[in-house]
Amino acid sequence: MIIEARDVTARYPRAARPALAGVSCGIAEGRLVAAVGPNGSGKTTLVRVLSGLLPLEGGSVVVTGRDVSAWPRQELARVVGVLPQREDILFPLRVDETVMLGRYAHLGPLAASGDADRLAVQGALERCDVLGLASRPVDALSGGEWQRVRLARALAQQPRALVLDEPTASLDVRHEMELFELFRRLVDQGMAALVITHHLNLAARFADHILLLSDGALVAEGPPAQVLSREIVGRVFEWPVAVTPWSDGSPQIVPLRPGERAP
Amino acid sequence: MTRARLAALVLMVVVCLVAGLSAGTVPLSPAEVWAGLRGTDAPAALIVRELRAPRVLLAFLVGGSLAVCGAALQAMIRNPLAEPYLLGLSGGAGLGAVLAIATKAAGPWAIPLAAFVGALGAVALVYRLSLVVGRRLDPRVLLLSGVVVGSFFIALMSSIMVLSDSAATRNAFLWLLGGFGTSSWQSLAVFAVYAAIPLGFLAFKARDLDLLALGDEPAQHLGADVNRAMRVVYVCTALLTAASVAACGIIGFVGLVVPHAVRSVARPIHRTLLPLVFLAGGCFLVLCDVVSRVAVRPLELPVGVITALVGVPIFALLLRRTLA
Amino acid sequence: MGLLLGVAACRSHAAAPRRLALVDDAGDTTLVAAPASRVASLIPATTELLFAIGSGDAVVGRTAWCDYPPAAAAIANLGDGISPNLEAILATHPDLVILYNSTRNAEAAVQLRNAGVPALRLNTDHLADVGRVARLLGRATGHARGADSVAATFDTALAAATVEPGPHAPKVLLLVWEQPPMTIGRGSFLSELVERAGGHNLFDDVTASAGTVSIEAVAARNPDLILTATEGPVSFIARPEWQVVRAVRERRLIRVSGSEFNRPGPRSAAAIRELAERFREAVR
Repeated sequence: MIIEARDVTARYPRAARPALAGVSCGIAEGRLVAAVGPNGSGKTTLVRVLSGLLPLEGGSVVVTGRDVSAWPRQELARVVGVLPQREDILFPLRVDETVMLGRYAHLGPLAASGDADRLAVQGALERCDVLGLASRPVDALSGGEWQRVRLARALAQQPRALVLDEPTASLDVRHEMELFELFRRLVDQGMAALVITHHLNLAARFADHILLLSDGALVAEGPPAQVLSREIVGRVFEWPVAVTPWSDGSPQIVPLRPGERAP
Repeated sequence: MTRARLAALVLMVVVCLVAGLSAGTVPLSPAEVWAGLRGTDAPAALIVRELRAPRVLLAFLVGGSLAVCGAALQAMIRNPLAEPYLLGLSGGAGLGAVLAIATKAAGPWAIPLAAFVGALGAVALVYRLSLVVGRRLDPRVLLLSGVVVGSFFIALMSSIMVLSDSAATRNAFLWLLGGFGTSSWQSLAVFAVYAAIPLGFLAFKARDLDLLALGDEPAQHLGADVNRAMRVVYVCTALLTAASVAACGIIGFVGLVVPHAVRSVARPIHRTLLPLVFLAGGCFLVLCDVVSRVAVRPLELPVGVITALVGVPIFALLLRRTLA
Repeated sequence: MGLLLGVAACRSHAAAPRRLALVDDAGDTTLVAAPASRVASLIPATTELLFAIGSGDAVVGRTAWCDYPPAAAAIANLGDGISPNLEAILATHPDLVILYNSTRNAEAAVQLRNAGVPALRLNTDHLADVGRVARLLGRATGHARGADSVAATFDTALAAATVEPGPHAPKVLLLVWEQPPMTIGRGSFLSELVERAGGHNLFDDVTASAGTVSIEAVAARNPDLILTATEGPVSFIARPEWQVVRAVRERRLIRVSGSEFNRPGPRSAAAIRELAERFREAVR
């Protein structure tokens, strides 16, 4: 287990209710965990809590045996690569320069970059299939290419776990599929990964384990077929759905229109 | 950086320095400048050695410092319009200077010192105002607080100036408009020794600036201690800018325009950007100082006026290029 | 009997108010009920002149800068005169207001005239203005003879005090401000005084009234004397960058104080004599 959260309760400053209450989960090597849930259920808060950005009110988060609050940021970045939802592109860099920023975890502010760093960057670019875009400025990339570059940057940190907050938001089906295939490949090669996503069907097909959050609490977890049932999804998302199994066994959710009935 | 570009850069710096030493009320040829530097006793030589040399070097250092501050702030606040004076510094410095003049504080260093203290006071106030819960600096609040505090101090300063029955206080703004007319080897030495430390710290934080420019969260996830980095950048830029005000009054636009101009021809990675910005800022201010000395000779124009007159069209050009 | 009649006629002549159309220095024609007996003088130079021509009793308002003659201190202070406080002015119930001829005061003049109070805008910057302004004030306040006398005395005293510029006329830097160093060019009042006292304004090629100079320019022109008229301690002579100027190294510094060096008036001849004396001492 790379990251383990036990009974975590966390609250934003001056908020009336905790954003997360009593949530436990684990991110282990070779496992792709997907966190899903309605808006405001605490998914992004989970990301912040697991990466030590939000102090806990209760419970603990442990990263490879050490409490997350005891990790200096630079060290933590060598173990966990986190991609938040939003990022500014103020002064557009080239793709290779962007990915090199991921080496900060190893170089720190002062050390000059060396061959090890260049190799790491090259490897990350290759794994994310953006090597051909190396000299392109990032503001000239498509949405899918930009996400892959960000992922390459996280990989340049050479982490053991990846935490990705809605990495395929606003991407078209091709880029979505390409990204999820990439996540799956990385996980199969040994990475631990937690992906926050809105796309229940993609989570169903790619994830080994689903965390279903609602109102800050973990209401269901387990393999996709177990968690994404008609009854659970309809209750949590407050919308009637039908569930049909796909050829690979994963449940596919179809939201129902008023008057429709599940077949 | 390619050898050709490096050579071009060195050439630019040398040309600017020579221009600064040659131009002035008494135009001198580079040969005369050289003779003067080596030390004859001719009156022209005295002018070169005692007046122009420290003046040009001080303008170079101040220009470089202000430009570096601008670049660092633009990354830290994630706003391309950030300028060192947005932190409320000019208001604080003005108030300090006016108070020193109004209370007839003695000594030739009284006004610069008071301006320095006033600037830092304003910055401290802005810092305090900008701390949100959790002791983090929010850049958006920083900008707003800077504008608000700056305006408040300027209002205080203006009231004092208007209500005072001393001509000296009423004309305090003359000092603030500033310039390099009273530069000496002494003031150059003080500024150089003092500025080296914050400049050094900013150089150390160059990589952090690259990360900060992405946003607080991405920067932290990449391993940067964002709070510490922001504090260091903030304190260093405040110290450097306050010292610049003390040395030569309020000179705007250098910190705003020079970083953008350099970014349009160089990579925005701060490890290489900051030194380039320093050199470019130095050359820019030296040239502006030349114009201020030559345009209406034997009178001088305030350097801040020249930097604005030159800086704004350059900025407009840069904007057009980026938007095109 | 004839004497009595003559005196009565004089008195009635002096007492009978007439409407005078006066043209001020801004080119406006204003009707003034002469003799004006309640004058708000918002220029220190005209306050001085009003007292000098014998109309001191008629002054009911002055600026904070009107420090001469000492009797002016007893008169109501109406502010600094740069942006006239119309309420304060009108509260003194003046029948004539004297304003400095600036564009800022144009608005004030219009408002005063609308309130039924004649306002004159006058230039009082140069020696040449003194005679003209004195006579105008004399006509307005019924002291024409006093005004003529003052003007005549002024011209004579000025001619007597003026020193012919010799071959060794000292070059004088008029330093009106230290940080940043500022000087005034030819045509300004202090420059006039210096020229008449036998000196030579170092920057007489500058036409602007005041401007920042570089120490370099001063050093290049090498003044014989430095003249300052500022209040407060003079700190620039100790500063290292000023040592390039010979006059600073040799401490050839003249300080003058007193409002007679700020504005033209009956004291100008004395000011010129003092300056001439200081010049002679300094170059000895």
